[in-house]
Amino acid sequence: MHHNYHHHTSTSHDNSSGSCHNEPSKDAKWSSKLLRECAIAISERDSTKIHQLLWMLNELASPYGDCDQKLASYFLQALFSKATGSGYRCYKTLSSVAEKNHSFDSARKLILKFQEVSPWTTFGHVASNGAILEALEGETKLHIIDISNTLCTQWPTLLEALATRSDETPHLKLTVVAVTTSLVGSVMKEVGQRMEKFARLMGVPFEFNMITGLNHLTKEGLGVQEDEAIAVNCVGGLRRLEVEERESVISMFKSLSPKVVTIVEEEADFCTSKDEDFVKCFEECLRFYTLYFEMLEESFPPTSNERLMLERECSRSMVRVLACNNSDEVEDGDYCERRERGTQWCERLKKEFSSVGFSDDVVDDVKALLKRYRSGWSLVVPQGNDHVLGIYLTWKDEPVIWASAWKP
Amino acid sequence: MPLDLDNVSTVSGEASVSSSGNQTVPSKTKKKRNLPGMPDPDAEVIALSPKTLMATNRFVCEICNKGFQRDQNLQLHRRGHNLPWKLRQRSSKEVRKRVYVCPEPTCVHHDPSRALGDLTGIKKHFCRKHGEKKWKCEKCSKKYAVQSDWKAHSKICGTREYKCDCGTVFSRRDSFITHRAFCDALAEESARSQPQSQTTQTPSAVKANSDSDSKPVTGDDSSPMEVPPLPPPSPPPPPPIPQSNSAALSDSQMQNPELPENSPQIVEELQANNALNGSCSTSTNTTSNGVSVFASLFASSTTSENLQSQTPAFTDLIRAMGRPDHPVDIPGPSFSDPISLCLGSSMFATGGQERRQYAPPPQPAMSATALLQKAAQMGAAATNASLLRGLGIVSSSASTAPTQQDSLQWGQRQVEPDSASISPGLGLGLPCDSGSGLKELMLGAPSLFGPKQTTLDFLGLGMVAGGTPGGGLSALITSIGGSLDVTAGAASFGNGEFTGEDIGRNS
Repeated sequence: MHHNYHHHTSTSHDNSSGSCHNEPSKDAKWSSKLLRECAIAISERDSTKIHQLLWMLNELASPYGDCDQKLASYFLQALFSKATGSGYRCYKTLSSVAEKNHSFDSARKLILKFQEVSPWTTFGHVASNGAILEALEGETKLHIIDISNTLCTQWPTLLEALATRSDETPHLKLTVVAVTTSLVGSVMKEVGQRMEKFARLMGVPFEFNMITGLNHLTKEGLGVQEDEAIAVNCVGGLRRLEVEERESVISMFKSLSPKVVTIVEEEADFCTSKDEDFVKCFEECLRFYTLYFEMLEESFPPTSNERLMLERECSRSMVRVLACNNSDEVEDGDYCERRERGTQWCERLKKEFSSVGFSDDVVDDVKALLKRYRSGWSLVVPQGNDHVLGIYLTWKDEPVIWASAWKP
Repeated sequence: MPLDLDNVSTVSGEASVSSSGNQTVPSKTKKKRNLPGMPDPDAEVIALSPKTLMATNRFVCEICNKGFQRDQNLQLHRRGHNLPWKLRQRSSKEVRKRVYVCPEPTCVHHDPSRALGDLTGIKKHFCRKHGEKKWKCEKCSKKYAVQSDWKAHSKICGTREYKCDCGTVFSRRDSFITHRAFCDALAEESARSQPQSQTTQTPSAVKANSDSDSKPVTGDDSSPMEVPPLPPPSPPPPPPIPQSNSAALSDSQMQNPELPENSPQIVEELQANNALNGSCSTSTNTTSNGVSVFASLFASSTTSENLQSQTPAFTDLIRAMGRPDHPVDIPGPSFSDPISLCLGSSMFATGGQERRQYAPPPQPAMSATALLQKAAQMGAAATNASLLRGLGIVSSSASTAPTQQDSLQWGQRQVEPDSASISPGLGLGLPCDSGSGLKELMLGAPSLFGPKQTTLDFLGLGMVAGGTPGGGLSALITSIGGSLDVTAGAASFGNGEFTGEDIGRNS
């Protein structure tokens, strides 16, 4: 379990499938081959080849087929948007559709089902909750600032743990900063009410606040009080910040004097090569989403609608990452999708914070969590490497989620 | 689901048992053991220091180093070594009963009036409530302060299932807790700040139950003596005032896993549903599938509902209309009173409006076929094929993409109105789509469905089921209600989903 963490940069799906262009081979990854060729053609501005490949992909792709077809379908959309310069428009459309289609019921069902079959989000929840509970041990007035994309599903178990704390049950203020279009307005209001009800049931004095928009976060805006023990929790939240803003938001965190900052992010680098090298960025994107789609395929039953919805959610970030330009005007509600690897986040965070290792107890909790899912998942705790802090969730030996805890 | 109906009645019976803690209603089933901490007033009150209390095995055998809690036990042990031993003779006069208080000053059992009757009991209490949890389950990481608790838990860890009031079964505690917080069944539980009635398990009763020291956290612990295997009990009311009484939820909820005979069935239902997803999506035999889905919906939503939940649910509905935080003490209307249902249906209008917020968005500006057409033009002769294929995919998207509920909704559209006679649930569901047919529905259909349809969150299906004497009838009504609800939910995002799908596919 404690083997060293190897940095994976290259795609592991380089099986040189000799599949000819006309015939989709069933077992080979024809999609990555075609998509990669297409990305190269786009970067070389070879319009004939672009047309040919887009056409072919369109013939073969389907969001309802196997993994290959699905990947082809969603990446085709991103590549097409890139080729036609319509990325931002496409992104806006996808965003508004997603926004309008999200209801509390659908979002709840989706996220709970996902958590049932995959530790993708629960891994970060268990690790973060463990670190938060330890850091806030004995405090009576807690304030958790939650910048996450998981619809507060992290908090019931924390509330339960607080309620069963041996000392007096503390007061908890939860300030949620909405970071996805699915968390806006009525959905989040409903979530807040659920949280309040649940806290009441558990006997935890509780206050729920919501803030929309990641930009312009301030200490005052977050309602931070002097006598509160602060925890900042970001599960899939930091990547929503524009790359240029990440540093300043992290230093804003520091100004809150938090007891602990927990960061959980998906392990991918959509940042480094975004402008210079389109193909490289595409490769990384393809690598990450291939893993993700395969994970979904093995986690969900074949006809799962939740799986389809999760896959569809990826299409937006693919378009955002691959087809949107920096010159595109960023509006409120446009969230960045540029993931960074754990090591990259470490570089940012180390400027303001020092790393807090996860305790053995927390590590045990995470291990126990993973045991209850299908095989293929494991925990990797990097040893003796100052550059790699935190812990990793791996899927078939590929690190996919990075979790870490920090203190000023 | 006759089995579940049986449960409903059992559960209702159980309600009175739990309220026996409040000493209002005599229990009609098993006698619950006496509440701890109500000692004989004449008993001698013993206050031990934490150190003494925790000092296990103070009396050590000099031969084998085995320790004993009591000198008398050591003396008995010494006999085995053929050492001199001395057992205290029972004095002729009657021994005065002893009770023990908890050394923790903030603890309720610190008060002599709540002292516990035996030394082991107070020791375990002190350990569980105020001690360090140093025993950790290897499988689930759950920690225990008392070794015997840990041992008992280890034996059953992973073998239990947690069952929510909504019928969903969980093998994992954390998922159960998370689900619990988000489940609509919880909404019904949180409105309990109302006058205590005989049939309602009162907060104090819950508190008494949960304070029985049977466990620090949940019924997950094994305390068979203290948690008799009951059918799923009624959801306990939360404490009206936030207060450290966390065991309330867990205690009673965790008893649910004690009902294994239910669980597999529900699981099967769920699996059946999954299978139905597939067939529904083909949208050919939707009607027959739909019925089964309703059946399972019904099953899952009635398993542990009971009469009690009704009143609070109503209160909660009212409360939800105002500020959720503000407790409103509305005496619950009686179940047979149709007025309560009418009130519920007047909520319905509001609910409907709210639904409309999520109403299907207009077709997005981007042409749904733009990409497809463009891409198709790139191919030399394949335009037609491509378009046809695209259409084919789009239509299949409609049937596969939506969630199960969507499938029903969508299926209904394709099935044509005449299927309504076969599947009344589906037929009734249709008007919800527009949000305009609601009024007619209220007039035409028994008002019973009304509240259910919009207020899944507040009025459980079980309310109808519990309030109706005839199981069959309630089953029918409930299933209709369930289907209505489902379709209403589907309408909220189903159409949009299709729209999105078209774009996803074509752009």
